[in-house]
Order: sequence, then structure tokens, then C-alpha cells
Amino acid sequence: MKRFVLFFTLCLTAVFPAYARLFKATEFNLSNGMPVVVIENHKAPLIKHMVWYKAGAVDEIRGKGGVAHLLEHLMFRGTKLMKKDEFNRQMDEMGAEHNAFTSFDVTVYHQLADVNKLEALMAMEADRMRNLAFDAEDFAAEQKIVYQERQQVVENNPAAPFNERLNLLLRGNSPYGQPITGQNDEIMALTFNDARDFYAQYYAPNNAFLVLSGDIEPDLAHMLAEKYYGKLPAAEIERAEPKAQTEVFKSTLEMALPNIKTTKTVQKFLLPPRKDLVGSYFDYMVLAEYLGGGETSALYQDLVVEQQAAVSVAADFYYLSRGNCVFSFSARPNEEENFNWAWFKQIFDDAVAQAMHNLTAEELEKVKRKMIADLVYVNDNPEDAAYWVGYSLAVGLTLAEVENFVEGIQGVSLDGVKEAYDQLLAAPRVDGLLKPQETTETAQ
Amino acid sequence: MTRRRQHRTIGYYVWRIVLAFALVGGIFYYAPKIYARFEYLPIDEILANSVLKDRTFQAEVKEIKSGDVRAYLLEEHTNPIVSISFAFQNAGTAYEPENKFGLALMLTEMLTAGGGEYDAKEFKNVCAEHGIKIDFSVSADNFSGTLQFPKEFTAKAVEMFKAALYTPRFDETYLALVKKQQLLALQAQQERPEQVLATGFKKFIFAGHPYERDILGTKQDVLAIEAADLDEYRQKMLAQNNLLVGMAGDLTTDEAQQLLAQLFADLPPQASTEKLAALSIETTGEQQAIMRNSAQVVAKFAVQGTFRNSVDFYPLYLVNYIFGESGLTSRLNQKIREKEGLTYGVYTYLMINRSAALIAGGFSATPDNFARAIELLRQEWQRLGLEGVSEEELSQAKKALIEAYNLRFASTEGIADMLLAMQVYDLGIDFLQKRNDYIKEVTLHEANAAAKKYFNQVPDLMYIGILENEEKN
Repeated sequence: MKRFVLFFTLCLTAVFPAYARLFKATEFNLSNGMPVVVIENHKAPLIKHMVWYKAGAVDEIRGKGGVAHLLEHLMFRGTKLMKKDEFNRQMDEMGAEHNAFTSFDVTVYHQLADVNKLEALMAMEADRMRNLAFDAEDFAAEQKIVYQERQQVVENNPAAPFNERLNLLLRGNSPYGQPITGQNDEIMALTFNDARDFYAQYYAPNNAFLVLSGDIEPDLAHMLAEKYYGKLPAAEIERAEPKAQTEVFKSTLEMALPNIKTTKTVQKFLLPPRKDLVGSYFDYMVLAEYLGGGETSALYQDLVVEQQAAVSVAADFYYLSRGNCVFSFSARPNEEENFNWAWFKQIFDDAVAQAMHNLTAEELEKVKRKMIADLVYVNDNPEDAAYWVGYSLAVGLTLAEVENFVEGIQGVSLDGVKEAYDQLLAAPRVDGLLKPQETTETAQ
Repeated sequence: MTRRRQHRTIGYYVWRIVLAFALVGGIFYYAPKIYARFEYLPIDEILANSVLKDRTFQAEVKEIKSGDVRAYLLEEHTNPIVSISFAFQNAGTAYEPENKFGLALMLTEMLTAGGGEYDAKEFKNVCAEHGIKIDFSVSADNFSGTLQFPKEFTAKAVEMFKAALYTPRFDETYLALVKKQQLLALQAQQERPEQVLATGFKKFIFAGHPYERDILGTKQDVLAIEAADLDEYRQKMLAQNNLLVGMAGDLTTDEAQQLLAQLFADLPPQASTEKLAALSIETTGEQQAIMRNSAQVVAKFAVQGTFRNSVDFYPLYLVNYIFGESGLTSRLNQKIREKEGLTYGVYTYLMINRSAALIAGGFSATPDNFARAIELLRQEWQRLGLEGVSEEELSQAKKALIEAYNLRFASTEGIADMLLAMQVYDLGIDFLQKRNDYIKEVTLHEANAAAKKYFNQVPDLMYIGILENEEKN
């Protein structure tokens, strides 16, 4: 009987899909096991070509922080077939905007180009998937460059010590607590072989996937992807699942830093990984939007507009991760002089509680409508769709889940959001305060 | 005749064996290397034979009119969305009244903080629920904005936009909040070294000219701005005769025309503002420092550049691309980043305002690298001024810029912005058809004349940080 009901439901959903699929993407695997996703967008003859490797900073050996990122840089230093800077020169000559980035869970190489360049992009990206050939000189130069990158992007920011310390407090011993760039001394201690080893361990077609977004039909994409990527040999790759953090704690971090001129408060809540959440991740997403998504949100209206206790406030739910999810609030308090953190924490928590008390089913529908209304733009720029789909798949969501995003939002109930809030209240939490140094020197 | 048998020593055999090994080893060692020299990725061949090589694209820009308001339109019916970008010329921060610096930015916030029957919250709610996005922004020259909406909510979008532009509320409580936010932003601007440098650099290069002003204004002025000031600025500076509009998306010509009338016909005909006189920048290699501790020293530099419609523009555009704008392959990045690893990146760009045109650039490096990076920058700058670029570099740059042509059509919003830029810089309605020819037609002689003319100037430079040999505090 159960089976019959399931069959019946499947038939119904097949004939009457409740909501249109968000991207109407097509997915298939190449003969070597490499998955491909195609998102058609025929507005202009353009293609976004992205190779996503399932390897990132969390896959680094302890003490080798930054090697995933350094390798990402070395991927531009030539292969057996394209020497030295030939790759960059060729990309430039084809008018391709090309770059790469490293995150905790994934390393991504991508180009935006005229679609008539797609085959060359594939040939070049497939080439460096297996044939990378940087030399000691390239390594030495790139090591210095990624060191300079950390100085520019992280260390030059006066708030960096606060941000990194806060993340460490929240993530503890987890690899998600370490900076993606690696620490300064880690970067400079990395060796040629560390980078080669990381490449050998993770860079293979069956540990990557391809996202194509733009002026391309799925059949043609399949034929071309098979031609360039399908021939590459698969490798045996073992990748550890990140351990979920289960510790229970409440911490605070108060820092007064040089060159900081404004006060900022942060609250971060450590939640279970997405698949272990109580309720659906959409519940938490809608909760964040209701409480602190922009100027119409409940907390902004209460703390900023009504009480004038803060000048800005925002909430965020981070779920695109293979590890724990993180829910956070941030605010800029109104009174800089004699700022009383304990008082502010109290009125903030009260405001959140009050907002939850006030939440009605009607109000919730309004929030959901706003979130859905904004989706009309996601299929405009082929780059946006490629990032959204790629990031989702990289952290273990299925294409079906991505496609049914609207359904996910629609399915959120008042009880679900309230339950999500209860989970927040019970979750490990770090409260942070960043403030200018001058005003507190005597107090410390 | 009998050959005399040679006496063969052990050494003879040892040598033969060694030679044989050397020969075989040599073949095994060198053959793949020699082969590899001929092995390459046949990119040109792949491109020439690609099944995708004939995909082409025609983008037709139309000029539409409604009364005295004109607009450029590009129809794009793939997605049911509309994007409109517009600018009121000579209404940016350089045109703010004395003692009210920061007014234009405050107006951008206050226009969407309630209008007509809607208070701020309701206004923003209605927009968000319909996917309507109304944003105003300001630069030194212009007061600008964008309007985006799903086609099905055209009527609502018109209603909300008109409420913002014609009947803003300027409620006192919200004005107080926006002021506070702007004051806080002024403070926060002093945190990051690159932001401190950006404001300092404007004052350094544009000293005495309205372009030296900061978009956030000054604390004193921000505090003094009142609702009446905002409304006066709105009524005087936003008019039909200084308005330029780019429209893209799911619109027919008729629909676009009607929309144009609905949105902008109620503006006053004349704005009371006039373009500032052109400013010539003379640089002498002056160097100024902001002494403040940071991990890296951050630098910015500039010399006089050229305007968008000058005959020098395309030659200089190509020369600058080769020198500092093409990313990792640029001369500067090759020397300072790729070879010696002194910086994460160095760049130059053509900064073109209505009344001043610059070649500007920047980089950041740790104090121990800074002197060497500056030395290489000066060397490359001088070399460009003396020797210009090579035929090969020029043709590579032309290819790159021509092949990248279609990238401008990625988003509807981007297309509307481009249509607006075509008017801001007065490029003509046939710009898209002609643009690649403008690039192709630049000769090596013209490029090198531009290199000589502009790179013979010595840039003024400002940095923030403490150099290696300076006292640390």
C-alpha cells in the first residue's frame, strides 16, 4: 500500500509540478565519473565555464594551512603542454575573464567568455586537471604572492584579529576554525612537495564537477565535455567527511583594536550540519530573513527605527558548508560613548524574543513572498546561476533540492520557524564585541 | 693479409659498456624532452574547428523619445524583467552647495525612505514583495539610479518609483537615522588603510577642485543638512535636460516609450546646474605619505590622462591595457608580481570624469618589498614612455579587447548600465557596431605616440604605511 501511495504521488508530481524548477538545469555524468551540470541561458553568446574540485582548506593536513590556496595559484603556472605563463596569455587573447578561488570545502576555476571559445576553455582546463607542471622558481614566486595576498586581504584589515579569533572560538578544533589563507608562518613553511601532493591527492575528474551556464544546449555540452574531460583517467580518491562539532559552550570575546573607530557586536550560534538540523534548513533561512534581512526586518524595525539603540542590524544563516551551520547576528550600536555591552546584549536578546512572540502566520507569508519575489533575477546573469548551483552541489545538496528552492521556502511553517528559534536558544554561542582602543585603554 | 688482432683490455669493454649505456640512456632521457617540445595544446586549431565558432550576436540599440526625455533601448525578451539605468548629469558631489557636503548621498537614501502614501517601512515592503528594486547613487559628476522590476509588476514599479522621485517623505525620524548612519560611515572610513588612502589621494590629486570632496561629506555639514535642503537639491538638480536613460529587458519600443513618459515626464524641464570647467592635472613626481601602521604599505599614483572622445583615447586605452590593466599578463604584473612575488597585484586604469581625466594606478606590498616594487614601477613607466609597446603586444591587446566584446551582455542590468555609459561619454548610438573597429584601427605609431605623450609625465604618488627604514611608533 505504501508503495502504491508513493507511486501515485510520484505520478502526480510528475504531471503537476507544484512549482517550476528554479534553473531548469540538466545533469549527467561523463564516462570517467565526472558530473556535469548545464544551465541554459541563450540571451547572449556567452558561457560561464566552472570546474569545481571537491577539495578545499578543510582537506589540508594540520600545519599545512594554505596549501589548497597556494596550489590554486600554481594552477596558473603552466602544464606539460602549456609552459609558464602561456595559460594566462591565451586566456587574455581569447578575451576570457578568468580567475579561481579557494574556500573551506571547494576550489574553483572559472571563466566567462564568448561561447565560441568554450572548446578551448575545456581543453585548457582539462589539461591542467592532470598535467600541471610548475617548477621551483614558480613555486617560490607564488609562495611570496599568496603571503602578500594574506597581508593585503586579511592582515591589512584592522578588524582581522577580531574576526579570526571569533571564528576560532566558535569552531574550536575544527578545520573550519582555521584561516583559508593559512597562517603567516604556515604559508612560508609550505614546500614544493606539499603543493604537488595536494594536487596528486585531490585533482582528478571524478573528484570534480563541471558547471556550464549560458548559451549551450545540454546535448552539445555533453558531447564536448566527453571529448575534453571524459578521456581523463579517474583516480582513486579518499576524502574524509568533516567531523561535526558537538561541544557545548558559551563564550564571549571582547577586543579593542588599534585603528578601529566604530563599535560592532556579533552573535554567532553553532548549529549541526545541514543534514542533522532539527527541521529543514529553509526554516532557519526564513528565520534569518524575518529577523534581520534588510531594513524591513523585525530587528531593524525594532532596534534601529523604533528604539534607536542601533544604527544597523543584520542576521545571516550560513548553510552552504559540509560542516556545521552557523546562524549569526551583527549590529552597530548607536551610542559610541560609554557603550554598555551587557545592556545592549540584553535588549538585543529581548528584541529577538519579542519579534518571535509577534510573529504571525500572515507575517511569515509576507517574508516568504519577498524571498521568492527576488528569485525572478537569478536566471538573468549566467554567472549568478552558475555560482548558486555550483556552491550548492559542492557542499552536498542535490540538483533536485536546488531546483525546488521555491518549494522549500513555501514549505516553511510558523511552527518550523519557532522550532528553529528554540534550537538557536539552545545552541553553543559566541558573543563578540569589537571596539576602538582609545575609549577602553584605562578600563582594561 | 691477416689483420692483426687488437689486444683488448678490460678498460676497452668497460668503455664500450659505458658508451652503450650513455647512448641508450641519452635516447631515453632526451627523446621525451625533444618530443615534448613539439607537443602542445593546439588552441588555434581547436578554435578554428569548434562546432561553436559561428555563434554570433546582433544587438540593436534604438533611441526613443518622449517629449524632451530621450533614452537608449535594447530589447531583450529572454527573461520577463526590465532594467533601467539613469543619470542626472552635473548633479553629483562636485555640485553640492557649500557647507552641505554629503547632501547628495543623503538624498540617495532619503528618496527610498518613504514617498507619497507610504512610510519608509511600507515603501520598502511593497517593493520587496513585488521584486521591485529602486536604488539611487551618486558619483562626483552625476546623481544616478537604477530601477529593476518583473514585467508583470510594471504598474506597481511606476507607482513606487514616482513616489520616490516626486513625493519623497523626508520624515524627520528617518532623516535622523540616515544622518547617524552617514556619520558612522565617516568614522568607519578611517579604519582600513586603503580607504584612508582613497580619501587622502582625492585631496592630494584634486586639491582645490570640487573633485577632492568625499562622497560622505564632512561631519559638520552632515549634521547641518535639513529636509528642506534635500528637497531643494532634488527640485533644482534633477530635471529633464540633464537626464540620460538606458533601458534594457522585456520591453517593446512602444512599451518603453510609454514607460519613459510615465517615469520622467513630470520632471522640471531645466536643471539649474552647469558643467564644471575641465581640470588639467600637472604631476611632478611628488610623493606624500600618511604615516600609519599596517601590514602592508598601500600606494596610489596618477598622471593626466585623456577624455573619452579625444583622438588619443583608443591608442592610450590599448597602451594602458598592455601596461597595467590586462591582469596577470600586464607588464606591471609580470615584473612586480609574477617574477619577484612582491605584491598580490598592481594595476593601472583610465579614470575619466567629466572634468578630469587621469591614468591612475595602485598596489600594496609589505614594507620590505615596497622600495623594490616602486623601483620596478618607475623603471617600467620610464621604459614605456621611451620605447612604447611592441607590434606583438599591440596585436595581443587588440585581440583580447575585441574577443571580450560580448561579455558586456551578461546581465540585463549591465546592458542598461552600458546604454547609459554610451550617453554619458557621448559615444553615439552606433557605438556597438563601431567599437571593435575603433580598436582595430589603432596603429603602432599612434599607440607609441600616446605612450610617449602620457608616460613621459612623472606620476604623483601617495602611500599609507610605515616604510622599512622609518621609525615605528
